[in-house]
Amino acid sequence: MPAGHSTMETTMQRNGIMPFHGFGIGLRPPHYEDFLAAPARVDFVEVISENFMVDGGRPLDILHRVRDGHAVALHGVSMNIGAVDGVDAAYLRRLRQLADRIDPLWVSDHLCWTGIDGFNSHDLLPLPYTEEALALVCANLDRVQDALGRPLLMENPSTYVAFDGTRMSEPEFLAAMCSRTGCQLLLDVNNIYVSATNHGLSTDTWLDELPWQHVRQVHLAGHSQGEHMLIDTHDAPVPRGVWELYAKACARMGPVATMIERDDHIPPLAELLAELDMARDIAFVATESRHEHVA
Amino acid sequence: MEGMSVYAHAYHSQLLACLRDTHAKTREWIGEEAFGNAGKAYIAAHRPQSWSLDDYGDGFASYLDEEWPDDPDVGELAWLDWTLRRAFSGPDAAAVAMASLTDVHWDDAVLTFAPTLRWRYVRSNVAALWRALDEETPPTITAPGSAPPALRVWRYGFSTRFASMSAIEAACLDLATMGASFGEVCRDLAARVGDEEAASAAGSMLGDWLREGVVTAVR
Repeated sequence: MPAGHSTMETTMQRNGIMPFHGFGIGLRPPHYEDFLAAPARVDFVEVISENFMVDGGRPLDILHRVRDGHAVALHGVSMNIGAVDGVDAAYLRRLRQLADRIDPLWVSDHLCWTGIDGFNSHDLLPLPYTEEALALVCANLDRVQDALGRPLLMENPSTYVAFDGTRMSEPEFLAAMCSRTGCQLLLDVNNIYVSATNHGLSTDTWLDELPWQHVRQVHLAGHSQGEHMLIDTHDAPVPRGVWELYAKACARMGPVATMIERDDHIPPLAELLAELDMARDIAFVATESRHEHVA
Repeated sequence: MEGMSVYAHAYHSQLLACLRDTHAKTREWIGEEAFGNAGKAYIAAHRPQSWSLDDYGDGFASYLDEEWPDDPDVGELAWLDWTLRRAFSGPDAAAVAMASLTDVHWDDAVLTFAPTLRWRYVRSNVAALWRALDEETPPTITAPGSAPPALRVWRYGFSTRFASMSAIEAACLDLATMGASFGEVCRDLAARVGDEEAASAAGSMLGDWLREGVVTAVR
């Protein structure tokens, strides 16, 4: 590689995440065999970072073989970016080691907290959207991005409770977080749908307030109807309401890497790829109409 | 507050799913209901601390040992489930190549073992139980003392493995994994069983360890 190219890439890595427009899936164990046996029509895959933050064995071998043929995004669930006691240094070392091995498109995690004082809930717990929480998240993000040597993508969570002391909307919080830390956004359209429905908020207002210039990736997924709320279960096809919201998002943001997440009741790979074709079609139509609108 | 119940339910169901996943044969052996009850009681008493959900099952086998003191098969099956799972993604190390052993002075030789190797004494016929469950044949408990008294678990390449051991092999493996030379292991063995049987047993044991990928270096 010419020295000039290398320098340019280093600069872009430091200053931001290189744009990548494509369609992918969340790669899960039931699909490993099919995926490695024949090339799948995807532009990238996303894997759960923690599943590969291991010492060795078949998981890492599979990931290296996948990486040989595909761009890979690392998506974590245990960073605990909202931790009052800071992000675990041993966790960050492991994640850095994995990222250095895989050279991912980017590394992402969730805007949430997962535990405190050595307790890990293994759940994505909601944060109050206050200035105090924002300062904490930003301080943690600064340390994490330094430790990983790359900017992060942060995903908007699904939430089931809201806080009385909240002073800003989630999109306002996300915008301020990106602006202060240089992190970018992984926009989970299903999570917007779930959270807005659960809290009686307007998805259109949500979209109006989002800092679209920071969105680098989109998640699409299904949810289920709980007793009183929608639950972000990732166990069903993307429902119509989420597709409609995705179309609106595409019209606002233009081409952004998009993928389908499925973590339970995982269908055959072909079925998931057919669902991904729907995302391609919707994004194409929305982007075309966006161009017409702009022209 | 209904939103909080969503988080509470997710917390418990995720941890129970983790235990079910990492202890699949144990679950089959004691049944869904008994496993669910044991899992819920374990979750109530053990808060997860690691960032890795996979670590949560560390301690479940000991918990079952304590809860089912008259049924050693339960805790031992859980230990085997858990140890195989740990070996699956444990550190890599290539097995020693037989061809590289032509000039070894065995009396002084110290063996390095696969980093995933773990062993323990057992009271039940846990190895046979696990295999029967895996092959979907009827598992049968045998009388105490009738099954090999120890078990080793390791990974060879990407293949997780386990094997029963005699008390003699377990004692030798114990010594060797603590850094004793092969000569010291053989002398300890001879003190237990006599020179003649020791020579034959040591050769057979070493052959098994080398052939099965348990040994990763000889120096």
